[in-house]
Amino acid sequence: MSHERQNPAFYALLVALIFMAVGPIVLMFANSFKLDVDIISGTSGLVFLPTIQNYETALCDVLWYDPDHIDFCALKFGGAFINSLIIALISTALTLVIGCMAAYALVRFRFMGRDTASLTTLMVRMVPPAVLLVPVFGLWNNEFCIGKTTWLGTLIRDYLGGRGDLCLAGTHSGIILVYVAMNLPFVIWILQSFIVQVPRSLEEAARVDGAGPFQVFFKVVLPLIKPGLAAAAIFTFRIAWNEYLLASALSDRDTKTVPILIVNNMSEFNVEWGVIMATGMLLAIPPIIFTLLASRQIITGMTAGAVKG
Amino acid sequence: MATKGINRLTPYMFMAPAAIIMGIALLYPLGYMVYGSFRDWNPSQTIGESEFVGLKNYITLFFDPAFRESLSVTLTFAFSVVIAELVLGVGMALLLDRNIRGMSLLRTLFILPMMIAPVVVGLMWRYMYHPTVGTFNRFLERIGLEGVDWLGQHALLSVIIADIWQWTPFIFILSLAALQSLPRSALEAARIDGATAWQQIIHIKLPLMMPVLIVTALLRLIDAFKVLEVILVMTEGGPGLSTEIVALRISRTATEFRELGTAAAMSNYLLILLLLLTLSMFAVTKMQEARAARLARQIQEED
Amino acid sequence: MLTTLKRAALGATTATVMASAALANPYADYAGTTLVVNFPAHPHYNAVMKILPEFTKETGIEVEVDQLPYLKMRERQTLELGQDEGDYDLIAYVVFSKADYVYADQLENLARYFMNPKLADPNYDADDLIDGYVYNIGFAGGNKGYLEGKTGSLFGVPYGSETSILGYRKDIFEKHGLEVPETYEEMLDIACKIPELEPGMGGLSSRAASGHHASHAFLLHLAPLGGRVFDDNWNPIVNNAAGVQAAEALKQIVDCGPEGATSFGFGEALGSFLAGDTAMFLDTTVVAGQINDPSRSQVVGKVGWAMHPMGTRRGSQTGGFGIGIPKNAEHKEAAFLLMQWLTSKAGDKMVALAGGNPSRFSTHADADVNAKFPHMATFGEALKHADPDWRPIIPVWGKINADLGTTLSKVLTEDLDIQTALDGVAERTKAVMDEAGYYTWQ
Repeated sequence: MSHERQNPAFYALLVALIFMAVGPIVLMFANSFKLDVDIISGTSGLVFLPTIQNYETALCDVLWYDPDHIDFCALKFGGAFINSLIIALISTALTLVIGCMAAYALVRFRFMGRDTASLTTLMVRMVPPAVLLVPVFGLWNNEFCIGKTTWLGTLIRDYLGGRGDLCLAGTHSGIILVYVAMNLPFVIWILQSFIVQVPRSLEEAARVDGAGPFQVFFKVVLPLIKPGLAAAAIFTFRIAWNEYLLASALSDRDTKTVPILIVNNMSEFNVEWGVIMATGMLLAIPPIIFTLLASRQIITGMTAGAVKG
Repeated sequence: MATKGINRLTPYMFMAPAAIIMGIALLYPLGYMVYGSFRDWNPSQTIGESEFVGLKNYITLFFDPAFRESLSVTLTFAFSVVIAELVLGVGMALLLDRNIRGMSLLRTLFILPMMIAPVVVGLMWRYMYHPTVGTFNRFLERIGLEGVDWLGQHALLSVIIADIWQWTPFIFILSLAALQSLPRSALEAARIDGATAWQQIIHIKLPLMMPVLIVTALLRLIDAFKVLEVILVMTEGGPGLSTEIVALRISRTATEFRELGTAAAMSNYLLILLLLLTLSMFAVTKMQEARAARLARQIQEED
Repeated sequence: MLTTLKRAALGATTATVMASAALANPYADYAGTTLVVNFPAHPHYNAVMKILPEFTKETGIEVEVDQLPYLKMRERQTLELGQDEGDYDLIAYVVFSKADYVYADQLENLARYFMNPKLADPNYDADDLIDGYVYNIGFAGGNKGYLEGKTGSLFGVPYGSETSILGYRKDIFEKHGLEVPETYEEMLDIACKIPELEPGMGGLSSRAASGHHASHAFLLHLAPLGGRVFDDNWNPIVNNAAGVQAAEALKQIVDCGPEGATSFGFGEALGSFLAGDTAMFLDTTVVAGQINDPSRSQVVGKVGWAMHPMGTRRGSQTGGFGIGIPKNAEHKEAAFLLMQWLTSKAGDKMVALAGGNPSRFSTHADADVNAKFPHMATFGEALKHADPDWRPIIPVWGKINADLGTTLSKVLTEDLDIQTALDGVAERTKAVMDEAGYYTWQ
């Protein structure tokens, strides 16, 4: 591809745009290595003595040594990180599996209720999480429960301990359920446009060879939509990893995720900018890594379905 | 054609898990919420214990000046953000639609803002807007100007800027993809005919990109109503109600005021609003698609 | 034979002494339990976290703490307390939650614990607990439902309570020959003189952000200026002359305050004072520890303390937290032991030395504490004027407070007329009170 030379003004514009896009992130990165006193007193941007104190405070429950500057471990970042990871990974896996099966059904089969299903999927995408907050909170805490007096409830309580009725709230599964449901519409929409591009002839050929529908799906279609799956996976992971509102309503002290920890940390009394920046950075790292490694997939995912032909 | 294994049940089996999950965790809660909006319900009761009050929640909200203010803030926010992002995003795409080295690196860097958690975006910008230690005011003071009370007097504007930062890349990438998939023949023809760059843009590029732009704008508009965490972290809806978008107000009504029935009614109002917007956008898309198809056919015929 | 007898006697005595020593440990039955506790993210409770290991060492009872920002803590507690079996054995509750929890019958009445000879420590000395705090935070059912009175009883013990105090920059005052303000007029006068005397510096940094920040700041001025939110018949009088005066005082303070004052929450207001951008700070005693912490503050050693200025009377706020036992807790007796230990003379002194807020008169007067924190003596004086009724503690207060806060924020940022704004608040408040049934007996 021939690269044309551009005039300097263009390059200047480009640099400015890059600066604006990446600047705040770099700023946060730099600040996470500064002591609070330095941040507040405004020692100029990039010339300072870096310290890892903020990260030590954030990660104090997974460090193998005791940092001197803290008396007790307030932030339990390690635990939250694990919770976030479990929830995000499982949500992504489930959403992908369930979503691609549904997308395939909507594209390839004609069945009763197909149009309704398709339309519902589209409509449900409109729903803001804040709208789900109230009912999910009510249901997860009060209705979707196994009473502690039922046989199943007593069994679980005997083996796993804990008190009271077993409700979905405060469990990893509860949050995973909501995330999968929230992400399915989007994933189905993306995957539909990828499945459409798989030539029917391939499927026909496989069927002639005697493959059942599930085999056709798994062995023929899935490998061909890998880019779509990658894009869907990244988007779902990003939402599950970054989400705050529903997680904060549905988690208790054992299932806190990282965004909850970050918001809780912005307390009224102690605005510890350094630690806040460090925790923000830690939360942002997986998405940044994904972006750097898989930007092509992300872009393909975004443009699928929006750009026709 | 009856082949091994395919029977009438196959599509249902493929659809079932998705349908079940969306049913339990999306549709049932939505129905629950609609049911709850007709009741006077606080968090220590289960929905069965709450009192039925008919349309009272809806009527109270309709006349509630706080809700109206919140609604107008939401609409202002959503439309400002979408229009600004469209203009900036499409502008950037038009400018950067050239063959340059490192285009893919550029694209990678540009989509970083989108991938960062809204919570983190909120706190990044809260730091930058801070009246004394924030980047902006420090810069202004260094060049001799007075600092601006970003989160105090210009809260809505500040929040809009933060959202523009995060989501313009989305529009940019999509517009760029659209631009790069335009039929080169049309552009060549126009150039040969002596059209200036500007004329090319207005008469050819934009009209052909319209369908994509409209879908993108629609997507962005729907998402703009969902924005909550950024605003929560930056201003908590203040000062006053100047940045309290409806989603935030719903969350506050539920958790702080403990009035779940009102929150549910508000959610319904929001959903109805979104539905109207979506439907009208669909209608406009259909019209635009017809027009674009006509245009494309015209151009092809002229070749 | 005498030696054998002596030895036997010695053996018997030792055995008895050892046995009684074992019996004398009140915590023996509970050693090995783990208590789950809900605390807010607050400087006092950060100090408590530092001394909890001492408790475990002494008693063998483990404590697991769930520390949350205080609004989140309230939400969480609302949820947990409503269940049949709750997660928490001991909770720290915000003052105005007292009304909600007691009314919904979710807190244990502490009477039977203090009556239990196995649990109650005879050396507890409850009279030493600060009266204003006990009645504001722990007592319910008394006069007006939330103050002291013959009909009330104790549901919680104050822990992490605070009153308001005026902190000022000694160096700035000395430099310009200013006198420490005693009355509101003097304070407001100085607040607006400072920006002229010291360009770039604010007079008084105060909370002002929309919501509970602004209303807290307003109420701080309302009580000393002779105002009240309600009269004795629950009619809102927040828009009377004293109310308007309080709002005007707040507006003046914010106008003469540092940059960005209109959006200050408590953290920012304190931050401004700590960074040396403001000459005065009128808010909670909680901040004292941070002021002298060099890693947070740039005004170490430069701050003097004075009592909350006088309007028509002296009346500083009472607030903060108390600890109580949920009705649905699992380990109630062990929780009571923790509560008692934390608020005992020894525990109170320990937490004061760690930077927390003492709940006892004796701790404020203690020599060691004063050696480390010289401001304790002034605080002790201020506590004598702590007004338990500066803010009503009724279940509907949350809604009224939110309305008051948003309206005041508009007064501060949009120049809304004060009398009109307060009239609006009074009207809406009346509607809320009417609906809640406060006018049933009139």
